Amino acid sequence: MTTITGLGLVLLILMVLVGGKQGWTAFLSLLLNFGFLYFAIILVAFHVPPLFVTVTIGITILAITIFMGEDDLRTTVTAFYASLIVLCLILVLIFIVEHWAMVQGFGTEDSDELEGMSILIGISYFKVSVTTTILSSLGAIAEAAMAISSGLTEILENHPERTNRQLIHSGMAIGQQIIGTTFNTLFFGFFGGFLALFIWFLGLHYSFGTIMNNKIFVAEMIEILISFIGVLITVPMTAWVMTKRRKSVVDNYPKTK
Amino acid sequence: MIKQYWTKQRIWLLIFLMVVGIGALLFTSHNEQFYQQPIAKVISKKTLSKQRVKDQFDNVDHQYNQQLQVKLMNGKYRGQKLTVQNTYSDSQPMDQRYRVGNEVFLTQLRKRGGKLTANVNGYKRDTVIVFLLWLVVLMLLLLMGRSGMFAFLSVVINALLFIIAIEIDLKQNGQHIMLLFSVLAIIFTFISLLLVLGFSKRMLATFAATVIGTFVALGVSMLVFMWTHERGIYYESMEYVTQVPRPLFLAETLLGSLGAVMDESSDIIATLFELKQLNPAVTRKQLFISGRNVGKSIMGPLINVLFLIFMVDTFTGSLLYIKNGNSWGYTYAMNMSLGTIQSLISGIGIVLSVPLVSLFGALLLGKKVQR
Repeated sequence: MTTITGLGLVLLILMVLVGGKQGWTAFLSLLLNFGFLYFAIILVAFHVPPLFVTVTIGITILAITIFMGEDDLRTTVTAFYASLIVLCLILVLIFIVEHWAMVQGFGTEDSDELEGMSILIGISYFKVSVTTTILSSLGAIAEAAMAISSGLTEILENHPERTNRQLIHSGMAIGQQIIGTTFNTLFFGFFGGFLALFIWFLGLHYSFGTIMNNKIFVAEMIEILISFIGVLITVPMTAWVMTKRRKSVVDNYPKTK
Repeated sequence: MIKQYWTKQRIWLLIFLMVVGIGALLFTSHNEQFYQQPIAKVISKKTLSKQRVKDQFDNVDHQYNQQLQVKLMNGKYRGQKLTVQNTYSDSQPMDQRYRVGNEVFLTQLRKRGGKLTANVNGYKRDTVIVFLLWLVVLMLLLLMGRSGMFAFLSVVINALLFIIAIEIDLKQNGQHIMLLFSVLAIIFTFISLLLVLGFSKRMLATFAATVIGTFVALGVSMLVFMWTHERGIYYESMEYVTQVPRPLFLAETLLGSLGAVMDESSDIIATLFELKQLNPAVTRKQLFISGRNVGKSIMGPLINVLFLIFMVDTFTGSLLYIKNGNSWGYTYAMNMSLGTIQSLISGIGIVLSVPLVSLFGALLLGKKVQR
């Protein structure tokens, strides 16, 4: 048995033990996300336009993460709509930023790994960099949207008379509670992968200016900062979508309970 | 809402941030004097030739030769113009296509026979980072207020600690990297939670739960590593390795999962404290069950957050492997296996913390009732 199978089995058993049916669905969503991510790579390799792949696979991953993570449709539908809007907004931002930063492809630090490879593959690495930046931020956006939307559903359940203004206010208050820990999740998630690169930079005494203009560093920083921005936009957006959908949330209350 | 939201303070804050932002952007787009490397601005470009290239895997691309007229922005030849050559391709993996107005770094700048010559060595990117950083700070402060400020502060402090720890690691030549980053993980957790939650019993409980959860997960994973003899782990496929790969990989994994475990622990502990406040007579069993219920609904999305961060990083590399005629299996093994292991270990940490944190919170809050 390989280590991946072993760890996967341990994770599956733990998830089912801790979460029961929900744990099993969560594990399944992880497998499906992996499948779709790999499928995205294959599609791009077969010259399907990367932007098309990004949008379709992005929506699929959002749907899997949100609808398989929670059963309450009032929460999930709101979260899904909100995250779709955020996806469109950051897509525009990423296009501008990536165009400006030109961090596609590989840096000089990658030269070792690229030895003996043919790197001129006829697929625009620029478009691929847009794809990777978006996909890496989707998990965080989905998670934030679900947190806000489930909190607001609960508030609407107990106080259906709340005005839209109060609802947005509550959404922002929940956002303030989760923003600190969400930022830390993203920070550590990205910096964990950064460790080897940073040891390289500091070990070879790269100057501050060199690091700030280094292709790989800038690419990683853009990924982190775009994820931060994505999460930040998600908070008011989810609250806003909830005000538009409040009727169906309140109406569905007895049915889903 | 709008009237309440736009208080005088906020308007001043917005004006202040705007001024700082514009100032920072102006500075980074005119900071050439602070660089030792020569920087030049492209003032005109001409494409000289186009060439079709095809490799043995039938990948078709085009290469172009570009002649750039650039003006030096710093150094002793400041203001002088010269012509440099640049090659770029359609896919632009390591080359760049420059446009008029771009600023580029030059190397081997010298005067030969009264004419300046140089090679292009990369694009100036610092303005982009400063712009995005500014955008994040602006949105954080305007949308999240005080808690946004503390969230940002904790990220900045953690980044500084991270750099200090790497310096220590380099001094020791990576001898004790696991020990070093384990200690760092504990400090990281303490500081982040202190800034996010403030010093309280709740914060101490979250802190203890996070540390226990993370390290137990690592321990369990080490057992699986031993049991499967680390078959199928290709440490040689790790990127940017300058030290012994295995401990480095484990340190990366430890740090990577820390934030998510912290996120989950603080959510569970917060709910338990709220329950305790609503009903001081709540039993340990009730607390444990509610903790588990909160935990099991957030663990799935959290694992997916980390999974996407770890795996998407390997996207470009995997694409290259497939286009170089490698099989799908080999592509996976060489690019994605380490990311998968990282996601799985983090996943185990996230799942294990649910009962651990719930138990911990239940014991802590339950005891007080009996007293």
